[in-house]
Amino acid sequence: MNLDHFGMDTITLAGPLEAKLRAIRAAGFTQVMLMARDLVGHPAGFAAAVAEVKASGLRVTGFQVMRDFEGLSGPLHDYKVDIVKSMLQMAKAVSAPMLLVCSSTSSMATGERAALVRDLQALAMLAVPLGIKVGYEALSWGRFVNEYPQSWEIVAEADRANLGIVVDSFHILANRTSFEHIDEIDSAKIALVQLSDFMWRDIENAEHRIETARHLRVFPGEGVHSHELADLVRRLDRIGYRGDYSFEVFNDDYQQMPLDLVGRRARDSAKWVTDQVLRRSLPVRGPGVAAHAAQSR
Amino acid sequence: MNSRESLPQPLNPLGIDGIEFVEYATREPLKFGAVLEMLGFVLVARHRSREVLLYRQGQMNVIVNADAGIAGDSQPPTLMALALRVRDASFAYKHTVELGAWPIPTRAGAMELNIPGIHAVGETIIYFVDRYQDFSIYDVDFKFLPGVDHAPKAVANMHFFGVVQAIGSGRSADWLDFYDHLLGFRNLPKGEYFGILPKGTLLESPCKKFYIQLIEPPEGSDDVVWDEEWLRLGIGTPDVLAATKELRERGVVFVDRENLHTSERGALTQFYLNGVAFEFVHSHLQPVR
Repeated sequence: MNLDHFGMDTITLAGPLEAKLRAIRAAGFTQVMLMARDLVGHPAGFAAAVAEVKASGLRVTGFQVMRDFEGLSGPLHDYKVDIVKSMLQMAKAVSAPMLLVCSSTSSMATGERAALVRDLQALAMLAVPLGIKVGYEALSWGRFVNEYPQSWEIVAEADRANLGIVVDSFHILANRTSFEHIDEIDSAKIALVQLSDFMWRDIENAEHRIETARHLRVFPGEGVHSHELADLVRRLDRIGYRGDYSFEVFNDDYQQMPLDLVGRRARDSAKWVTDQVLRRSLPVRGPGVAAHAAQSR
Repeated sequence: MNSRESLPQPLNPLGIDGIEFVEYATREPLKFGAVLEMLGFVLVARHRSREVLLYRQGQMNVIVNADAGIAGDSQPPTLMALALRVRDASFAYKHTVELGAWPIPTRAGAMELNIPGIHAVGETIIYFVDRYQDFSIYDVDFKFLPGVDHAPKAVANMHFFGVVQAIGSGRSADWLDFYDHLLGFRNLPKGEYFGILPKGTLLESPCKKFYIQLIEPPEGSDDVVWDEEWLRLGIGTPDVLAATKELRERGVVFVDRENLHTSERGALTQFYLNGVAFEFVHSHLQPVR
């Protein structure tokens, strides 16, 4: 695991797209997770935004975010299918290999498993000709699907080659979901792992959860769940996950800090995560070896 | 209704029944027509209002589309559409779109037949045609040429065998999902191949009348341009050697090199017009009736 396995997310940084990309690159990262509004809000238009991403030399981790898609019916369903087609076309334009889909919060949606499976299967099918994977994430305030074991069960049941789950540490920590179920996931079906932490242990209600998620996340190693985060990453490593890690850090403070400072925090965080995994995978040194190392210093 | 018709067809929900036509886009219809004629096809009809031609031999219909709006800058002739015979074209269209296919915008002009279709690989289209028994789709839009046999016999009983599709690295499972879940194709076991280019993933149509072969880029070919597209048409014949002999006499040149040469199993033509080739395969299939 090295810095190439990590990417920053445009949502963490303030300023125009070009500055964000430059800062991510300058911090030593080779990939970026893109938020649609960073591209469509570009003053010179979407095509210019795509050109900036391509010129940055950064690999695109994925494209976000499709919300409230599954479980709808009638005109609302048709409308959302239209929206997701546009999202897929934008993802394709910017060479994003994956579209992130968050579990629905809609009061109009059903939680019926068969409907959710069917809708995700259709979405995955729409993505096939475009060469895009679909990553389904359990939002911690999702109406019916709000924990990763549920999103995994649905993805497994849908059983499409280009459909996987997105593991987001924030939502797992916020809902205090057990890590035990990580072992049940087929690592090849993890489309992406998003990492972030926050600064307190108790989240009182859904509003507090949403507020924290959207404004007060921090990088791994900076929050109060470092022990749990290290455990999560080690578990993912143990089941064979070798894909990308993206820092999904929504933070109002970082939005008013110079980009290079935030980039440095992200880089320190990547090192922290790498150390957690290395600590497990390195062989334990015997006293003789340690003594020899001490002497040679 | 006989007992056979009343049986459900769970493995072929669209009632696919072979290929009605294939369509090529080209800006050089005359030159490409000459290649098709060398291969035994006969120009039998012209579109009433567009620069679109219908070539035919046996049960194979090949449409050559030189309509500038569609052909674009496609060079060489590009395999752009596959029309599948289905039980109910409207149902096939609705069903596949519900399952996640991208519908194509209608292309029919006034008084023209609207053939429903969905997007396939790259810029290609899969059409659904249900009028192939009592009524021909060509009667609406095409004008048959006088003094020409409209049902020319096929050289060496040649018939459609399938299409070879180039796909991106690691994309076999994605495209298998596409052909399986949308159209009911079945992945044939590894090792079950036809022709002389045995590789990739071979999918059998639910009617067992044609095949799609998926080919990922060969290893170590990172610098090769490998767009996802339909690479070439496969033509079946019960006797490859007889077919190639007759086609050679008509001027067709087949690839003949150390690791790839004409045999009883199959043959491959050279590239014509900078990149269009045809593959011939020893076939157990009967021409579609």
